[in-house]
Amino acid sequence: MPVVTLYLKRLGKLVGGKTNKSKIMESLPFLGLDIEEETKDYIRVEYSPNRPDYATDVGIAAGLQGLLGLKKGAEKLDIKKSDKSALIQTDTATKKTRQHICGIIAKNGKMDDETIKQLIALQEDLHFGVGRRRKKASVGIHDLDKISLPLVYTVASKAHRFVPLTMSHEMSVEQILEKMDVGRDYGHLLENQVSVTIILDAKKKTISLPPIINSALTTVSTQTKNILVEVTGTDKNATEDTLAVVATTLHGLGFTLYDLKTDARGSSQIFKTRPMTLDPDLVNQILGLKLTPLSICNYLKKCRLDAVTKGKKILCQIPRFRFDIFGPMDLVEEVALGYGIQNLTTSLPASTSVGQKNPVTKKLDQLSQVMTGLGFTEALNSSLTSKRVLYEATKRDSSGLIEVLESKSQEHTILRDSMLPGLLENLSRNIHESYPQKLFETGTIFSKGSPIKESISLACLSAHKDTSFTEIKAALQSLLKTDSNIECSTKASQNPIFVQGKTADVMVAGRKVGVIGEISPQVIENFKIRAQVSGFEIILSDFILQG
Amino acid sequence: MSQVLHPIEKSIIKLLKSTPDLAEEQIAEKTNLSIDQTRRGIEWLRLKGLASVSESEKSFVKLGANGLKAKQEGLPERKLVNLIAGQPASFSELQKKLQGEINVAIANAKKNDWITIQKGETENIVSLKHNPGQTREEKMISYISENTVAVDQIKDSATLESIKRRPDFLVIETTKSRTVSLSEQAKTIDTDKQDTGAIDVEADVPRVYAARTHPLKDTIDEIREVFVSLGFSEVMGNFAQPSFWNFDALFTPQDHPAREMQDTFYIKGKAAEKFANPTQIKRVSDSHKKGWKYDWNVEAAKKMVLRTHTTCVTVKYLAENKPDEARIFSLGRVFRNEKLSYKHLVEFNQVEGIVVGKNVSLRDLMGIQTEFYKKMGLYKIKFWPTFFPYTEPSLQTMVYNQRLGKWVELFGMGIFRPEVTKPFGITRPVLAWGGGIERIAMLKYGLDDVREFYNNNLSWLRTVSKCQ
Repeated sequence: MPVVTLYLKRLGKLVGGKTNKSKIMESLPFLGLDIEEETKDYIRVEYSPNRPDYATDVGIAAGLQGLLGLKKGAEKLDIKKSDKSALIQTDTATKKTRQHICGIIAKNGKMDDETIKQLIALQEDLHFGVGRRRKKASVGIHDLDKISLPLVYTVASKAHRFVPLTMSHEMSVEQILEKMDVGRDYGHLLENQVSVTIILDAKKKTISLPPIINSALTTVSTQTKNILVEVTGTDKNATEDTLAVVATTLHGLGFTLYDLKTDARGSSQIFKTRPMTLDPDLVNQILGLKLTPLSICNYLKKCRLDAVTKGKKILCQIPRFRFDIFGPMDLVEEVALGYGIQNLTTSLPASTSVGQKNPVTKKLDQLSQVMTGLGFTEALNSSLTSKRVLYEATKRDSSGLIEVLESKSQEHTILRDSMLPGLLENLSRNIHESYPQKLFETGTIFSKGSPIKESISLACLSAHKDTSFTEIKAALQSLLKTDSNIECSTKASQNPIFVQGKTADVMVAGRKVGVIGEISPQVIENFKIRAQVSGFEIILSDFILQG
Repeated sequence: MSQVLHPIEKSIIKLLKSTPDLAEEQIAEKTNLSIDQTRRGIEWLRLKGLASVSESEKSFVKLGANGLKAKQEGLPERKLVNLIAGQPASFSELQKKLQGEINVAIANAKKNDWITIQKGETENIVSLKHNPGQTREEKMISYISENTVAVDQIKDSATLESIKRRPDFLVIETTKSRTVSLSEQAKTIDTDKQDTGAIDVEADVPRVYAARTHPLKDTIDEIREVFVSLGFSEVMGNFAQPSFWNFDALFTPQDHPAREMQDTFYIKGKAAEKFANPTQIKRVSDSHKKGWKYDWNVEAAKKMVLRTHTTCVTVKYLAENKPDEARIFSLGRVFRNEKLSYKHLVEFNQVEGIVVGKNVSLRDLMGIQTEFYKKMGLYKIKFWPTFFPYTEPSLQTMVYNQRLGKWVELFGMGIFRPEVTKPFGITRPVLAWGGGIERIAMLKYGLDDVREFYNNNLSWLRTVSKCQ
């Protein structure tokens, strides 16, 4: 989950009223924000990825104002008219690559270092979340006073040159993609494209190479008063959602918003609210409360949404930046937040059912009991293991290997098809402990099927200087007899993990259900175990758990 | 009280009864026991309150190299006065004979007022004032001679100090000695009494370890029992699941970051052939198109993943059974493509419970949670809002951890989104909650590193106490 740093003094000022630190700290969790770190001056809170407006203190302040009753209902985004030059002309050639663009102008604001930091953090969050790592949408924030309007959204070849942000010399697009970090990170979005999208101003100066980087020309600093925001992307909704969050944040920071037209429409059309009807019965059913429509409206307003009663229903207006709201159920949650989760009392519905464990669980419990009775201690290993443990050290056949893609851990790349290797690995890590060592495990093993077969298996090992086939066969027979009244036999066979001549298949009613034997000296050496080892593995799904 | 004594103990008691208060070494020597045996025996006796040991430090003195030389040849000043006994001698003559000792000899002889020094024609002449008798230092050197003498036996400590100041005249050695004395009770013990065949029932014995189930399994069982006692029945499902049930059925869009390979394990070269019926697929597809506004792709839904939560099992159960009323739970391993750390595992256990009913509410969900935690021995809990992609409203439980002195996040909960339930024809609210089991087990066993559960260290498995 993403995290935002909040300076308490700044936040307190943004919230206004007579809020102190403790009041803020108390309220944050009830906005759904987890406090990760707390110092005297600042706190770090984790916010939900579906609320990018909480990526800045301005957004969080708006939420707090609602919960604390300082301000209710939605902030009205008043978009002032601009002159005709406030326009982004779109070249049809962009349709083939990154076809959507929209933007807004924000004037007469104050930028300080912290505000710039917050805006950058917001941008990053939007790029990652809604923007899907800049594919669906990416934001450019520019110093308006460095730009001559109107803008042109067009395409250029990779030889196109300009001075990118943070650099002092011209580079070609090709060089940016090759040499700059952002170029390497996001260059794949421009793969297989002959031309790239760029934004030029009226004087043909490059202001941005979306979705990679802005030009140095329009860098925003603490001197910046007026801002131009453009959002480009491959998904119209994501592009406009992103713009809505940025515009709402700039409004919260005290900027005055001005229309920036694209060919088709102006910004104000983008920010139209969405009407949504909410049935008070749904609210009361889901929350287990008896709220009046009027109080429901009040709780929605505390969540910074506009709501009025309309007959027996409630009509709610959803601001564009609240794209986390899909339908009435999301509004139910808003009511719960407005009501205050801390104010919800618990109730306990009567149970109409008798609970029970799954039969498989019951059987495994019983088998485990018998195994401990036989002196075996239970081990637990991962289903994901390594080629080394599963096949190389045990000399087992790896033709049925099932692999996962791009594991971050070398020790977890293959799904186990047997549990004996894991137990041998356990013995090898316990060579300094006293013998005898007897371990067992029950769990799932995997083999090729349609597409994958999962079976439940039981394996055990006995390690000490005098262990033998006889000892382990006696344990096996006792287990099956005690647990399930099953007689089993052992039929000589071959298996590379066991000693030749001291290994057999476990047979039940004429069917092979497992393997048994003394572990081969070579395998024991591979695991650096300092004792003799014998063991067995039986596939419970093939007999005891069948049907 | 009858006391069983080891033969070693008996022989020590026997000796000390006749010769009280001996040092360990002396006891060893006189009983013919090794020093180790003696020390062990003394320790046993001490623990039984039959003997006490007093430790003391003692210093001994013997002559060093220069001291021994002086004993043979006399002190440097004595050598000097012997040389000038007949007639005075010049400084250079004396230097030839006394060499390095000349300065010390002159200084001490002058201090003792034995000599006079006069200016001659070319150099100083040293002559004897009167014939000196034996000094205290000389007496002490001949007293110590080649012996080692306890410092506390020497009465003239001032002289000892002055000899000490001469380099390498004396060697002082300090030794610690442990003197053993019998208690009054021990003095009454008859060591010759007939052995009754009794053993020391109070002594330590070698450790044995009970074979046992895994501590984490015990917690898992405990959680299962709690669910069953609350009227829940257990359902099970596969670890390897088509993306459809793990993600799509739970309204996770196909381009969602959680579905990327860096978070989820995809199984190489495996795609599900039949995973749901056409109506289910169509409706899920529609739900995604409507909610997320993109073209849902059936191929992405076929990719096999290792389940990232047990919710895929419960949602599949709901889709297949469409119950009007139900209390079910599923419990088992889930997988995340994470770097291993003290708080992250690649594979861990999760439990999830759901309640389906006509009039069930968020308050009921909170009530069931409270009851669940109470049964797990966790009483101090509170609820905070949170976000989960497939529930709305969503809450998380915070539990107060006494040991850490802070609130920790435990299970998440919520009501399944209509976008999840509607495609499968489920119209009643579905309350759902769940979370990682290792987290609870860590609280119970007081562990700070979750990996300990899967290390299978026998030193831990054999000795950790069952949860109370």
